[in-house]
Amino acid sequence: MIKIPTRVLIVDDEKDFVEMLGLRLEAAGEKVTAAYNGRECLKVLENKSVDVVILDIRMPGIDGIETLKEIKQRFPLVEVIMLTGHGSTESAVDGMKLGAFDYLLKPADFNDLTAKLNAARKRKDEQEERIRKAEARLLMRKSGDV
Amino acid sequence: MNFCANQKPETVEVLLVDDEEHFREAIAKRLTRRGMSVAQAADGGQCLELLAEKPIDVVVLDVKMPGMNGIDVLRRINADYPRTEVILLTGHATTADGVDGIKAGAFDYLTKPIELEHLANKIHQAFEKIQRLKAARAEAEYRKNIERQMIITERLASLGTMAAGVAHEINNPLAIIKESAGWLKLLLAGEELRDMARRGDFERALDKIEKSIDRARRITHQLLGFVAKSSSAAAEVDLAELLEEAVQLIAPAADKKGVRIIRKYSASSVFSDPYQLRQVFHNLLTNAMYATGSGGTITVAVEDGAEAARIAVSDTGQGIPPENMHKIFEPFFTTKPPGEGTGLGLFVTRGIVAKLGGTIEVDSTLGRGSRFRISLPKHTALPEHKESTSS
Repeated sequence: MIKIPTRVLIVDDEKDFVEMLGLRLEAAGEKVTAAYNGRECLKVLENKSVDVVILDIRMPGIDGIETLKEIKQRFPLVEVIMLTGHGSTESAVDGMKLGAFDYLLKPADFNDLTAKLNAARKRKDEQEERIRKAEARLLMRKSGDV
Repeated sequence: MNFCANQKPETVEVLLVDDEEHFREAIAKRLTRRGMSVAQAADGGQCLELLAEKPIDVVVLDVKMPGMNGIDVLRRINADYPRTEVILLTGHATTADGVDGIKAGAFDYLTKPIELEHLANKIHQAFEKIQRLKAARAEAEYRKNIERQMIITERLASLGTMAAGVAHEINNPLAIIKESAGWLKLLLAGEELRDMARRGDFERALDKIEKSIDRARRITHQLLGFVAKSSSAAAEVDLAELLEEAVQLIAPAADKKGVRIIRKYSASSVFSDPYQLRQVFHNLLTNAMYATGSGGTITVAVEDGAEAARIAVSDTGQGIPPENMHKIFEPFFTTKPPGEGTGLGLFVTRGIVAKLGGTIEVDSTLGRGSRFRISLPKHTALPEHKESTSS
């Protein structure tokens, strides 16, 4: 089976981290875009289709939580995996309440990361499928109305 | 801890010092009838000998005696037994002696011939003063203890905050190292580098890097886990059940090592955080396993109480040297070889127990074993979980 690449956006102010993780994900067959702060992240989302955002919680400027809120408001179908170097899983839990798919503690295990990435991607696909079906039903009802 | 000295009625220990034997015997008999414990001495020398032998609360001392004079005896008593009170007995014509005596530190004086009622009252008053001072001393001691505890707690808390900060700062570079090592491994496994020279050496070195990253990660995550306040969820916890779960985790290792596990469970449940408690039990059992040699035993016990439940983990291991006792709860203190222990187990354990409103105590005898005892309140008031306002 041919793998359909997941379109991943990595958002972290640690450029080296973004670069190395990006290389690995690309090697694993994903399509990776990088952003180094919240604002850049939103800009990318405006112009590009993305499946999953890997989002660092602590960043200068608008932080991960703020960025997450914005993403969920403007691009509700995009899944977000929070990344935290923080011990306080508190903010990660807050993130999940705000609609993040899951979170990972830095340094994360690559296998854990890809597993969560795939699960997030799957949820997005299913959600989109449901929307398509709902739209189709809507369309049928409209045209089929007596 | 209790610093109320007059919890149970104590018998006042009286020493009667007078050279007139009849007088002494008569008074002693009547005081004894009033529930006092009365010893007798015929002169100053005997009085001091008796004081050296047993603790005396109140000395009733005749001023005019052959040999050592009453005032001199009083001075000696004050110097050597500051907690003993002295009541002087003076002759009718020599009340001045009594005043001198009070100046020299006597509790009071009575003039002969004395009324027994009067003497008994004075003794009681002196005894009350002793009790008061004793209570004050106990309270001061108690406060000092609390202060010492607070200093230790504060110190550990600030150490914890700092350690967590460091851990957080380290996690980011650690993540970069990890991704880079992973990337290199991926490259090595690829087609392009199949025939690369000394590939095995590179792979071995990368393995070592990855192992070390994991080791560092265990440390930072454990440190941060300690500070993490949330994901606390209080629930009804069956302590024996939870402890047994932790025991099951080490049971295979115990079997292999030849360590017997004795369970003394009584039914007890608390309203607390099961995840954190599991971590506590696991830490204590892991330590016990490490300390106990083949043929030894580990005893786990749960005991119910009205206000608190008690959990104890004891081992017959090597014990903790006295000089290490005050260090075992500090972060990074470990007696294990590098790489085997993070030195955070007990630090984290103590942090969790404190957070759950409990206490942890340890007693240990070198070469005989250690015992960790935890007391947990039946109901833990966990910090209210932050709800996002949007919900």
